[in-house]
Amino acid sequence: MIITKDLTKKFVSYKKEEGMKGAFNSFFKREAVEKFAVDHFDLNIEQGEIIGLLGPNGAGKTTLMKMLTGIIVPSSGTVEIAGHSPWKREKDFRKKIALVMGQKSQLWWDIPSIDSFKLLQKYYEIPDARYNEKINMMGELLNVKDLFHVHVRKLSLGERMKLELMASLLHDPQVLFLDEPTIGLDLVAQENIRQFLKDYHAQHNTTIVLTSHYMADVQALCPHLVLISGGKKSYDGSLEKFENILGHKKSVYFTFNQCIDKTDDFWKTQDVLFSENCDEVELKLDDHEIREVSAAILNKFPVVDFHTEKMPIEKVMKKIMENPEILSGV
Amino acid sequence: MNNLQKWVQTIKISWKRYTAYRLNFFLQIIGPSLIFFFIKYNLWSSIYSGEEGLVIKGYDFNQMITYHIWSFVVAQIAQGHTALNLSIDIRMGRISSYLIYPFNFWEFHTASFLGFQILQLGITCLSMTVFSLLGILPDFTLSGMLYGISACLYVSLFWYALQYFTGMLAFWLEETWILRVILQVITVFLSGAVIPLELFPEAVRSVLEYTPFPYLTYYPIKIFMGAPVDMLNFYGVITIWLAIFTAINSYLWKRGIRLYTAAGM
Repeated sequence: MIITKDLTKKFVSYKKEEGMKGAFNSFFKREAVEKFAVDHFDLNIEQGEIIGLLGPNGAGKTTLMKMLTGIIVPSSGTVEIAGHSPWKREKDFRKKIALVMGQKSQLWWDIPSIDSFKLLQKYYEIPDARYNEKINMMGELLNVKDLFHVHVRKLSLGERMKLELMASLLHDPQVLFLDEPTIGLDLVAQENIRQFLKDYHAQHNTTIVLTSHYMADVQALCPHLVLISGGKKSYDGSLEKFENILGHKKSVYFTFNQCIDKTDDFWKTQDVLFSENCDEVELKLDDHEIREVSAAILNKFPVVDFHTEKMPIEKVMKKIMENPEILSGV
Repeated sequence: MNNLQKWVQTIKISWKRYTAYRLNFFLQIIGPSLIFFFIKYNLWSSIYSGEEGLVIKGYDFNQMITYHIWSFVVAQIAQGHTALNLSIDIRMGRISSYLIYPFNFWEFHTASFLGFQILQLGITCLSMTVFSLLGILPDFTLSGMLYGISACLYVSLFWYALQYFTGMLAFWLEETWILRVILQVITVFLSGAVIPLELFPEAVRSVLEYTPFPYLTYYPIKIFMGAPVDMLNFYGVITIWLAIFTAINSYLWKRGIRLYTAAGM
């Protein structure tokens, strides 16, 4: 569905020198600085996949997304989506895709969303019956029917985001690009959006490319992850494999009501990390060990709380950002 | 057929957007021209008050005021559309949405412009009715009025192309407002909106004939006033300028879009 080969985007900017003199100098002689925002990027996404595009700020996610949607023209390399070159921006291509940007409203600000929907109906040439059906169905699913006639500028961010999603799905796109769709939303709203996307994908088998800094989004939605850093692809594979980059062991945490004895023989056989005031430990355990070891600790020490790691992906991401070399062996 | 529906719906939406803030909209489109008219009224009153029965290049005081009342009408219809601000759209990366929709950026803006123009025409007719009730609307013939309005509408297309041109430059320049202000000031002066072109030196006038400026204000005023104007020449010249700027705009768009970085997406 989406194939890129050696896709590259190079930006040229000009160095600005400091102060008046600098400004004067650079007016006449500018020093060009080339930056590869996306550097020889290969990608292959199958029809119906949901992929999570991850990477720190400035890694090139958004640039890649812009090239995939045809908003900017690649410097070199090829990209093909549903048989089209996006940068040619053929109308047929534009009817097949949709883009939702968490940071930027696509609905017209000064009019109610229903007017925007009607406009999009005409733009995408959606038959009336289909349009009404979609509006009703999604309006109910997202619980936003009462908001159709409210001016967009008067909506809360969460409400607006739901309507943005609706607007982008009216024409049944084959590929949906979501650029940080849950940014700035409260936990309940995030959860609603995730659930909606999950259900929608299950029904329509739309190919979805998602970027997000919230690992909960990625964990809930994306079985396939692509990591980009410094414009280059540094990981492309399953979520499961990604979570296991730091090893197969699970982290299990125990909290005690007092400082415990670090020198106890029990700990000697374990891969263990003590907190500073020794009332908390983190153990790395294989799946089959968890039951046995936990039971032993619960019996032996004054445990007040224990839990396993909820989102290993978050930890992996953090480690990778601190130390990108981790990935070189994968 | 489908494409026509897209245009019609865009025009309808543009009305909703323009009138979302009604008072603001009304003041914005009528306020500046009205103020400009009163400044010119005062200016010419004091010039003419110096000498009884003064006639400047064939204009007595009443004719001069007549000229400027029509100038107000022309400015309203032909050059009302200044709200267009493509440059901000481009610089802030706001055009991304239009690049995604299967309806082009220029189509969206042009349809919005047409929507604006229809509203503007209504408001101008309303203000002419008010002028007429106040007894300050100059005499006119029905044919003069119809010719005048159609001439202004045609000029407005060219004015729109010119505005679009300055907007396109935002692909290359960080700021374009200064350019737009310069264009506005030059246009006001050279088109005869402040001083009728008869008062310009003959040499300057003959050079101006080769520019689009006299066609923006001076000739439409003359048409309203019922003066003999070579219509074929008038429409011919505007058509040529319109074609030139449309071609430039389309070229600039193609070049510019390759540079577009969609800041912040």
